[in-house]
Amino acid sequence: MNNKPASAARVGIGGPVGSGKTALVEQVIPRFARRGTRLAVITNDLVTKEDAERLKRSGLIDPERVVAVEAGACPHTVIREDPTLNLDAAELLELKFAPLDLVLLESGGDNLASTFSLELVDYWMFVIDVAGGGDIPRKRGPGVLQSDLLIINKSDLAPHVGVDLDLMIAEAEAVRGGKPVIVTNCHTGEGVDAIIDHVARDVLFDS
Amino acid sequence: MLMLTTIHGLMTDDALHERLHGLSHNDAVETIRLERQDMQRHRLRVETDKGTICAIALPRDVSLEDGAILEIDENRAIVVRAIEERWLELVPRDAEAALELGYHAGNLHWRVQFRDGRLAVALEGPEQAYLDRLTMFFDDGRAQRADG
Repeated sequence: MNNKPASAARVGIGGPVGSGKTALVEQVIPRFARRGTRLAVITNDLVTKEDAERLKRSGLIDPERVVAVEAGACPHTVIREDPTLNLDAAELLELKFAPLDLVLLESGGDNLASTFSLELVDYWMFVIDVAGGGDIPRKRGPGVLQSDLLIINKSDLAPHVGVDLDLMIAEAEAVRGGKPVIVTNCHTGEGVDAIIDHVARDVLFDS
Repeated sequence: MLMLTTIHGLMTDDALHERLHGLSHNDAVETIRLERQDMQRHRLRVETDKGTICAIALPRDVSLEDGAILEIDENRAIVVRAIEERWLELVPRDAEAALELGYHAGNLHWRVQFRDGRLAVALEGPEQAYLDRLTMFFDDGRAQRADG
């Protein structure tokens, strides 16, 4: 390649409460670090900084590189309708820690209708989990349909909650019209490398 | 992979139009076709109609638009063209049905236009996914497709 991007890539991570978004961030941080990707993280919560504090305490990343945005309302308002707070946070991080390669924006817990503005992020993934119900893909929420990458997390729980994981994957692939689906267990890290590969290929452009 | 980080101008710009015309005689103009929603992105991996893999990475204050020229030199030009947007036009039976249909569309975060008593819904995915969400309106006659 003959020149470099002027700014860091911005990747959104959305999905319902408890699906494993912060656990996913904890899994991807060391993987990006190992491949030399310079990273910062923005978390969005309703009225707390809970997810940001968890990441700062994790020891995985310089706490200064983690910024919390408090939505004060349904989190989708600040990632879709008016993403100004997140745009400002991303610009500040890019200035403070230049040069950055990647800013991850984790949305607060939201419902299946949550989507990211493409003026805010270059690429976004939607995290659902097996324990949330095997029928989630069939419900065809905007997050499931429109995300660049759909992640089905907590694969290990399928036999314990009576979910046919193969059927859930097949239905997810069917409703997404060819867009990728990845199955993970963010507790152990299983499947996470494939997420890194997608981000590296599609927005970091280095694989 | 070809990294594209600048918009050199538009196809309609006088100076560039001449150069494009010259390159087109040598079959040296490549086209990237994008859906409307992808035109909002600042960074994406795409393939031209001639198979060149491109990494578009624009500054945050620059936006893609139809006819944007991302590469132009003596050997080649690369141009972005927006794919024509698809719409689903719905005709509500009466004012009450129109209110319900409008509420339903808003609740699903659909992007709409109002066209002479019709509700036009922008299709940002498979049409069937939208039709499936309208079944109850079609079944009891509260709404029908304008082309149905």
